[in-house]
Amino acid sequence: MIPPRLPPPDRKILPVWDIFATAVVVLLIAFAVNNVITNMSLAGATPGFGFLWQNAGFDVSEALIPYSPENGYYRVIIVGLLNTLLLAVVSLVLATALGLLIGLMAVGPSPIGRIAASGYVEVFRNLPKLLILLILFVTAVNELPHVRSAVGFGGFYLSNRSLYFPTLVFTPQIWGVLASMGGAILLALLMQSRLKQHRIKTGKALPMLGACVPCVLLLPVLGAWVLDVQWVWSLPEFAGFDYKGGLRLSLQFIVIALTLGLYHGAQIGEVIRGGIEAVPSGQGEAAQALGLSRGQALRLIILPQVVRIILPSMSNQYVNLIKNTSVAIAVGYADLMSVAGTIINQSFRPLEMMLITMGMYLVICLSVTMMLNRMNERLRLAQH
Amino acid sequence: MYTCRERSSSYVNFGNKLMTSLKVTALCATAALLVTGSTAVAGQVMDDIKSSDELVCLVNPKSPGFSVPDSQGVFQGFNTDFCRMAAAAILGDASKADIRGIGFSDSMKTIVAGGAHMASRSITATGTRDADAGMAFVATTFYDGQGFMVPSALGVSSASQLSGATVCAEDGSTTLLTLADWFGDHKIEYRVENIADKTARLEAFFSGKCDVYASDITALNSDRLLSDTPDAFTILPEVISAEPLTLVTQPDQDLEAAVFWAFQVMLNADKYDITSENIDAITADISAQPKAVRRMFAQDGATADMATKLGLPADWAYQVVKQVGSYGEVFDHHLGAETPFKLDRANSVNADFADGGLMYAYPIR
Repeated sequence: MIPPRLPPPDRKILPVWDIFATAVVVLLIAFAVNNVITNMSLAGATPGFGFLWQNAGFDVSEALIPYSPENGYYRVIIVGLLNTLLLAVVSLVLATALGLLIGLMAVGPSPIGRIAASGYVEVFRNLPKLLILLILFVTAVNELPHVRSAVGFGGFYLSNRSLYFPTLVFTPQIWGVLASMGGAILLALLMQSRLKQHRIKTGKALPMLGACVPCVLLLPVLGAWVLDVQWVWSLPEFAGFDYKGGLRLSLQFIVIALTLGLYHGAQIGEVIRGGIEAVPSGQGEAAQALGLSRGQALRLIILPQVVRIILPSMSNQYVNLIKNTSVAIAVGYADLMSVAGTIINQSFRPLEMMLITMGMYLVICLSVTMMLNRMNERLRLAQH
Repeated sequence: MYTCRERSSSYVNFGNKLMTSLKVTALCATAALLVTGSTAVAGQVMDDIKSSDELVCLVNPKSPGFSVPDSQGVFQGFNTDFCRMAAAAILGDASKADIRGIGFSDSMKTIVAGGAHMASRSITATGTRDADAGMAFVATTFYDGQGFMVPSALGVSSASQLSGATVCAEDGSTTLLTLADWFGDHKIEYRVENIADKTARLEAFFSGKCDVYASDITALNSDRLLSDTPDAFTILPEVISAEPLTLVTQPDQDLEAAVFWAFQVMLNADKYDITSENIDAITADISAQPKAVRRMFAQDGATADMATKLGLPADWAYQVVKQVGSYGEVFDHHLGAETPFKLDRANSVNADFADGGLMYAYPIR
């Protein structure tokens, strides 16, 4: 039965309090802005962003784009921003995967799994993330081997400094391989929609994987053979003080991503557990009565409903995780907060740099929230 | 709201530094938004110190020899004594210095935001920093230079052999700029790791995650002692920067003058071998002393005249030496031969000018 709708709020009442509150907020903001400008000019400082083009003069531990101290402050800010984004993306994936696993274990049939999940959640939910980070970092630097005695496995080397791994040298021919790979994926997508139509028409599911995996794999191989690609690998090799060649993932990056993954994994696990428990058990039973397997019931009936329930809390988790990447400064990962701090000390532009940093975090978090909100809207349509 | 609470609670428990960082950010924001005109008016900060009857002074929370809390939680060390010097000169009582430990990055922001009266925390005076209207560099208490420390096992004897090495340094300090300059000028490749948390930074160096630890030579000397095996580390001969470590105050002509001249009293006392031990004997027989000493400690001496002009207690110079000591006394007590640091002041740039050092006592007259 659909409950009767509530009447819309009475619009005739004058929103006196609304107007009053708005006026107070606007006045406060105006006062603050005016004060900042007045006080800065009194102190002989003119707010401005021209300093962004001055030489930064300091190095960073890792950068995704070419950077040298000769570059301007603006470039080191971009370096920090990209490092923050990379860390956020990797941690988000880690935390979500871990959270999903923990959530499923917590409601699963295995008692050991349930105990393990709740033990994990209680430990990591109740410890401050900075403590987890410092413990992991100090343990990792002390327990992992020194760079001179790094452990190697198939071109990979792990030491307490970094994880070193081989990388493909990007020759022009590789574009051809990439293009054929793109073509293969397109083909696979096309096939998927045809297979879906086929299933709708006949009710029979054709083996999608069996048909697509070979073509996705075969086309690039064919492309590589046709173009006669020379695969050039850059291998990490120890020379002097450190490994040269290949690529590296710094220990601090790994440790911070792990910290955020573990910390938010526990919280996301709880969110997912709550979401699964909120789906009436009759849904799963009905699915099984219709002949779906346990896995199919989970994938096709339960999880879509879970996603709808947990989305608002998940966007909260994601936003928190993104902001929490700023603990990185403690162990020397050159994230946005770290470079902003150094810039403030060198240029003495705290107000401008804080505004820039705040603006960047705001844009990142708002985009994530907006994306998840739109997803939420779309999913909600199905629910009456 | 949830976010805010969650973030701050974890910072409160662990990571003093980040907690202060948070506080300072709030402080900065509040100060920027609410405080009305804070230009350098003579006497304003001085009046604040006198009316609150305490002098808020920032030090490094963990720097052996320079400022570390003792078993009672009271800060002790070379830098700490200059906080006490200022309190003795202005308030007549060295114990009225409210000494607070704070991370490097936040100390200057705190001064600019008006959260402390002065800082004695090994801050290098630089042109850009001094050009900022929010703080004044007053007196250089220690001449230092940036250097490198390496594990002795590395077999490195000169910084020019460091090509390709990973260097650990403090986040946000001038150390980073000096490193970039020096390695850039010498065309030597290196990697830097700027780690904010001191424990994490030192662990990274002691465990060999970094090959090299870069900081001021004196800091290297004291940080080495935090390792289990201090002798396993060598300080390289290169000194790659000038680091005049200087007292910083809020801009206020009276406060700046008081701190500067209190420091000159300590230098003059050093020059005339006057210490906290023998000052009473000296003043008891003041007429037999050299004229310069009489001007410093006699009741009608130059310092008494300065006291009226700057608004200090009449016997401020006596109180500084009596309660804190002479420069040499303070140096030897915290850093000298009897301490684990064994700094040889006589053969360093911090020696008295007469011994070939840079400590040049200005005339008090």
